[in-house]
Amino acid sequence: MDDRGIYEDLSLVQKRAQRLVRIIEAVFILLFIYYWKIQILDFNKYWKLSEFNSLREITLPAPRGLITDRNNILVATNIASFKTSIIRENTRSLSQSFRSISDLLNLDERILEQRVNKYRALAEFRPVVVKENLAMDEVARIAARKLEFPELVIESEPKRRYPFRSFASHVLGYLQEISEEDIQSQAYKKRRLGDMVGKMGVEAVYEPILAGETGRLIEVVDSQGRTISVLERIEPRPSPGLRLTLDFDLQKKAEELLTGREGAIVVMDAQTGDVLALASYPTYEPNRFINRFLPQEWQGLVSDPSYPLENRAIRGLYSPGSVFKLTMALAALDSGVITDRTSFFCGGETQIYGNTFSCWNKGGHGSLILDGAIQNSCNIFFYNLGRRMEVDDIARYARMMGFGARTGIDLPGEKEGLVPTVEWKKKTRNAAWYPGETISVAIGHGPLLVTPVQVAAHTAFIAKRGIKVFPHLVSSASKPYWSRWEAQNGGAISPITNLKRSDFEKVILGMWESVNKGGTGQAAGVDGFDICGKTGSTQTIGRETAERLAQRNVTVKTHSWFSGFGPRDKPEIVVTVLVEFGGLGGATAAPLAGEMFRLYRQLQAHK
Amino acid sequence: MIDRNVFRELDWYLVGLLILNAALGCLIIYSSSQGQAGHIYLKQIFWVGVSCLGFFLILLVDYKVLVTYSPIFFGAGLVVLASLIFFGRIVGGAKSWFRLGFLGIQPSEIMKILLILMLARIYAEFKKPYVSWARAAAGAGATVIPMALVAMQPDLGTASTYVPLILAALFLAGLNRKTMILLLVAALGLGLFGWNFAFKDYQKKRILTLVSPSRDPQGAGYQIAQSKIAIGSGGFLGKGLKKGTQSQLRFLPARHTDFVFSVLGEEFGFVGVCAALALFSVLLRRLFRSVSLARDRAGIYIIFMVANLLTYQFLVNVLMVVGLFPVTGIPLPFISYGGSSLLVSFLAVGLVVNVKMRRFANI
Repeated sequence: MDDRGIYEDLSLVQKRAQRLVRIIEAVFILLFIYYWKIQILDFNKYWKLSEFNSLREITLPAPRGLITDRNNILVATNIASFKTSIIRENTRSLSQSFRSISDLLNLDERILEQRVNKYRALAEFRPVVVKENLAMDEVARIAARKLEFPELVIESEPKRRYPFRSFASHVLGYLQEISEEDIQSQAYKKRRLGDMVGKMGVEAVYEPILAGETGRLIEVVDSQGRTISVLERIEPRPSPGLRLTLDFDLQKKAEELLTGREGAIVVMDAQTGDVLALASYPTYEPNRFINRFLPQEWQGLVSDPSYPLENRAIRGLYSPGSVFKLTMALAALDSGVITDRTSFFCGGETQIYGNTFSCWNKGGHGSLILDGAIQNSCNIFFYNLGRRMEVDDIARYARMMGFGARTGIDLPGEKEGLVPTVEWKKKTRNAAWYPGETISVAIGHGPLLVTPVQVAAHTAFIAKRGIKVFPHLVSSASKPYWSRWEAQNGGAISPITNLKRSDFEKVILGMWESVNKGGTGQAAGVDGFDICGKTGSTQTIGRETAERLAQRNVTVKTHSWFSGFGPRDKPEIVVTVLVEFGGLGGATAAPLAGEMFRLYRQLQAHK
Repeated sequence: MIDRNVFRELDWYLVGLLILNAALGCLIIYSSSQGQAGHIYLKQIFWVGVSCLGFFLILLVDYKVLVTYSPIFFGAGLVVLASLIFFGRIVGGAKSWFRLGFLGIQPSEIMKILLILMLARIYAEFKKPYVSWARAAAGAGATVIPMALVAMQPDLGTASTYVPLILAALFLAGLNRKTMILLLVAALGLGLFGWNFAFKDYQKKRILTLVSPSRDPQGAGYQIAQSKIAIGSGGFLGKGLKKGTQSQLRFLPARHTDFVFSVLGEEFGFVGVCAALALFSVLLRRLFRSVSLARDRAGIYIIFMVANLLTYQFLVNVLMVVGLFPVTGIPLPFISYGGSSLLVSFLAVGLVVNVKMRRFANI
């Protein structure tokens, strides 16, 4: 810095600075005039607004989108319901009003207080729901004493209703009040505390579509809560609704068949992957839980040892058992381990790596080639394949055909299952893989775990001779779901594999014989319907399940599988049945699948 | 270093105005924070003390020394702002705060002072009647960098307060008509760009709300409506201290920070508003008058920029509470609750007093 300042000519700069002062003075004068207008000229208007305690904001909820089955039968709808809320700013003393309100509403004072405390963070003028599902006489009682309780408001809201009660409850899901964590998350940005949101099933996955957009009403009210004028009204935008791929009749049948058992049935359009039925049993009644205040019963459901809330079709992990023999057969054919003419001898049991492995048929099947081995589900034949293949190769094929990864069905919480490899064992058990374990994997046992929906997708994959099918419950609206799913799973999965079509025909021949030529799956047969299928029976049970059963003095039966499709040449439908502890696949699961095939055929005939 | 002679020239009148403004702030904060946890007004009084201390400390150092070393301070300020963005990402939550013990200081506020000194340094040496392109670009660059860092916090309100500083500097340095038009076009372009890429949805909504209050999905219109009701219902004399129904019943959002002027309007009425306007305009007038008392160019720039900064903040806030400007979150200087803002306002006026009292000094 130089210090010649005092000799410098600063007049130009100083003149400029003064010029701005004039402009600022003008702005101050305008400001003065505007405040004069508001505070003096418009005083009466604003004074009234403030005196009458001003503005009330009411949210206008958009009715939740309706859900229908593929034939437009309503499976989720809305009914009118009344709730009453407390507006804290209208109370003189909160504790005093708690006392009188608890009498009026017949509600425990402590519950009331808890409820209001939960919403402390809300502005004082926002209503906090204290009781919902009011009966008409309650509404009348509150309305009649409106003057005594200026803090109570009655609002009507559309409430979710599932007209067929527990029908498809695992698919539809249910609603619950939005949690405080949810509200922080990006997905629920527009929602408020107290809103009901989809927590399970398609209600959760398609929440953005089903929710619609809530509207808003800001009104000027007087000190007695009467509306004087409406300042602003934004209409709610209702949701367009959702049409599921489910078929009401098939779904109902599937649930009937499962009643009294624990298990799952998946019925799928073999060509498109439209899920026609997805049933899991035991089930629950969702209507009872669409409340802000969950009843005790909820706790009961959550802790029920038979897990009625779990959707077994997508979350149940089971050994595939003999159903996996199809995968093994395709893997062995493709890698050249066998051809369709390779034969092995089954004498009821065999020695491999110094251990005895036996077939389910103690008498033995004699000499068999591939189609017969599938038809009779011969273990010895597949042990021989297991001996000739590495577990990592089996795993590679199993993954290629969709095991060990989610199918991407549009339901929350789908499990991946497990396809064991040498590396997997090293990582999780810190042990080397024994060749004997490969023998178990060859007949679908060992650490292998799959879900029923994976088996259904796998069956459709075989039915379409090597083109993958992606099961889904909503076809028209699935685009946003799939793009998100693909983003989460590292890009789209190609439906094409380079397995040979002729190999599929060889395996399908065995499946056809299993149902139609006195094989293990014959109970699934329907006259005049060319069904191909495979049974499975799995010995593996979880430790917990075993303990639970032991307490009940039940002898442990195997899980019972059947998965098949029909007709053989132009596949239309895939049926997968799993019955926990159902015994042999051919005895329990196959007849249920047969019922499903039969009903499907009847329905088609009616069309 | 302390020169007793220069302190004889201290502008006590300005200091008095400063204290009066701050006292008015404490009074309104006292009224509007009724029923809130902690004694907010006591904290504010404490901050007035801290600010007075800062004010006198800044007088001790000759402003020319500050201007000479300003690039160092400015650079340090940028580093702090940048590290806030960086650490803010890791820690999450508010990125605009640094905690020094129990005092929360906002570096974006301190940056105002650093930028004033930096711009004074850039333009003080420049003596031609019209600013050169190189100088204009240097000043704009020095402004845009901290602006971007603060906008990323994201605090567009505070970031916008840097704009009047560079505009004031350019205005003094001399802009011909062509440059002014060019600047306007650039501002428009930047605005369009910002609208489409930089603004967050809630910021857009605030601006749209101003244009048409009925499109108001986030409630900014509600805030303005409530604030207008508060001010309008105050009438001529107001409802009296602690008697504002709007303010006391908590209709008013941010009553002791950004909307503190609405509380004043409601409880002290038009008379109170006029008093506050008068008090502040007297202060501003004194600041602008001081321009002609500076010894050198650097001094003139400092005084002019400080005056502009305070004017901008005051006007934006007072227009905002009656719905004539978007809800930006710019506090009312001296009045709104908040330590950093108060301290920086005091320091800014401190710079002016510093310049004034050294006008005869010949070191």
